[in-house]
Formats: sequence, structure tokens, C-alpha cells
Amino acid sequence: MRYITSLALLLFTLHANAQSAAPNWLEESLYGNGKINTVVIVVAIILLGIGLWMFRMDRKLSRLEKKIKP
Amino acid sequence: MKYWWKFLGIGLLLFASIAALRTPLSPALVHVSPDRIAPGTAVVEVLGYNTNFQKGTTEGYLENASQRVCGSAEVIDATHVRMTFDIPQGMKDHLTTVGVDQLRYDGALFTEGLGSGIESGSCGPGVNKIDMSGIGFAFPNRSILYESIRNLHFHVPMWFAMIFLMGISVVYSILTLGSNSLEHDRAAVSAAQVGLVFCALGLITGAVWARATWGAFWTNDVKLNGAAVTGLIYLAYLVLRGSVQDAHKRARLAGIYNIFAFVLLVLFLFVVPRLNAIDSLHPGNGGNGGFSDLDLDNRLRAIFYPAVLGWILLGVWMFSLKNRASKLNDQLDR
Repeated sequence: MRYITSLALLLFTLHANAQSAAPNWLEESLYGNGKINTVVIVVAIILLGIGLWMFRMDRKLSRLEKKIKP
Repeated sequence: MKYWWKFLGIGLLLFASIAALRTPLSPALVHVSPDRIAPGTAVVEVLGYNTNFQKGTTEGYLENASQRVCGSAEVIDATHVRMTFDIPQGMKDHLTTVGVDQLRYDGALFTEGLGSGIESGSCGPGVNKIDMSGIGFAFPNRSILYESIRNLHFHVPMWFAMIFLMGISVVYSILTLGSNSLEHDRAAVSAAQVGLVFCALGLITGAVWARATWGAFWTNDVKLNGAAVTGLIYLAYLVLRGSVQDAHKRARLAGIYNIFAFVLLVLFLFVVPRLNAIDSLHPGNGGNGGFSDLDLDNRLRAIFYPAVLGWILLGVWMFSLKNRASKLNDQLDR
């Protein structure tokens, strides 16, 4: 238990150091190139969301087709 | 041509998405170094974005509310300018504004050794060393936002589509209460389900944009919490429906709940965030200036309105598919 606690504390300090030293990968990818990557991620999320909806609708229609001709 | 509005929706989305991604940002100064100067000779380097400075020397100036210091500016390359100033003793205030030609950068320099002396210099803005050819139609370039201003055409239309679909839902709910028809009830729930898809997309895209501009995925902004609560209210609408067995009873109960849900949506998304007493990070809320203040020449609007209409039409199309599928489902179950 004490081992896990100290490991967790160590991880927290590592995290704090990483933040003060250099921008992390997230900030680099979101803030780089005039923040254009933020737009890329937003567009990707919207396309994925609509795509997921299409998949669910597809499955629903397949179930209906099965009901018509068993 | 009964499909005309679907073609219109796809066409508008195509136009708005391409224009939103391809329109250049207008030139702006994005960084000034150093951030602190003292009386005497000071060299200030300025970084521009989309500036395309032409080689040579031009004029630069430092400014506070009442005084201006003029200096020479040497163009290093298309985005870098090095300016040399002779800062006199006794500036009244910090020289917070840096200017090159017609571009300004606010909140830049902290001046040491303030006093009450000197007259204002008589230079800049005027001479134009920036090649503006090729930048006709451009979006505003604002610090913190930069390129992410394009998200206006993707994140915000999600909410417009969601609100439109919830509007369709509440209209069908009112019709249900009048007619007691299960057809109307089915349409109401289909619209709310598709509206929730757009609500989820709006929340997630908003979180990403917030991380890039406000520094956190979720902040205690009134509009964020209002939007999240609105989403939960509509989730509860679906849960409520699932808990009632009798179809006609369910239709009436859900219809009444849906009217309350829509009233709360209007309150949480439009009324509460606009109260000036409440702070909000969202543009145009809590007494903030909106994007309309940046958009003086209507360039954002010219793309934003087609995007909103396009996403609304796509949402209505999704609603129609959902409604037809559940109608078939109900008929086959009977």
C-alpha cells in the first residue's frame, strides 16, 4: 500500500515537472500552427459522430429487414 | 424534385465547410519580444502571422494611451520585423501597444522608469509595407483564437441544429396533446433523439475548442453547464418514456414533459447566459463582446449562416430517416 502511494506521489511530481518544462503533446498539437489542429480535431469529431449515427441507423434497418422476411 | 432540400443542405455544407477551412486569416502581429524595456535604446522583435512583409525599412511605433514613441523598423523576412527605438525618460504609462504600419499588437511591453514627461511623436499608422494582394476575403485574426476562429462554422451550427430539432420535437409534442395521436408522439421522440446527437457533438467539439483557447476541457462557464443540463433534461425525457408501459399514457406524459424541457432549454441556453450579472467566457454572453464585434465586414457571417442552414437541413434529414425507421418498426411489431 505504501509502495503504491509513493509511486502515485512520484508520478504526480513527474507530471508537475513535465508541465513546467515544455508544452505537453496535447498543447503542442492544439496550439501549433496557429491552432489549426484544433479545427482539424473538431471537424474529425463531427464526421465521426455523424458516421456513428449512420452505423446505428444501418443496424436498425437491417433488423427491420430481418423482421420482414425471416 | 421532392429531394431538393436535401441537395440544398449538402450543397450548403460543402460550400460552408470548404470556405471555412480555406479562407485565409487577415494579417496580424502575434508575438513581441522582449516583454519589458527600459529608457534608452531598445530593440523589439515582432512576429507576424500571414503578414508577408516586404523587404526594406518602414516605420514602427510604441504607444500608450496618450504618448507615442517612433522608431525605425527593419523587415527581416515576411513574418519578422526588428524595430529600434530610443525610449525617452519619463513615459506616463507602460507602452502597451506595438505598431508596424497598420498592424497593432496590444498588451505588449512593460516599461521601467515611468515619469510624466515627453510629447507624443508623430508617426505611423499609414505607410503600408504589407503585401495585401492575395488576401481579399479573410477572417479576423484575433489573439488566442488565431486559426481556431474557423470552429465558429463547425461548433456553433451543432447547437443551432440541436435547438431546431428540439423545436420540431416540442411542436409535435403539442400536436400529440391536442390529437392524442401516436404518430405525432413518435415524431417528437425521433426529433429529440437526433437533437441529442447534435447536443453531444456540440459539447465535445466545444470542449476541444475550450482546451485550445481557455486552457481547460471544461470550465465553470454558465453556458457550458446550461448546455450540459439541457442535454441531461432531454436524456431524462427518453428515460421517462421508457418507464411508462401504456402507449397513450406515455404519449401524453412525455408531451407535457417535453414542453417543460423546451422552456428550460430556452432558459439555460439563451436567457441565463446573457444576464450581465453572470460572468461567462462565451463570446456574446455575460456582457462579453460577441464574434459580431470582430466581424465588421460580415465575412464570418457570409459563411456562418449557410453553415447553420446546411446543418439544420442535415438534422431534419436525419430526423426524417429516424422517424420513418421507427414507424416501420412499430408497424412490424404490431
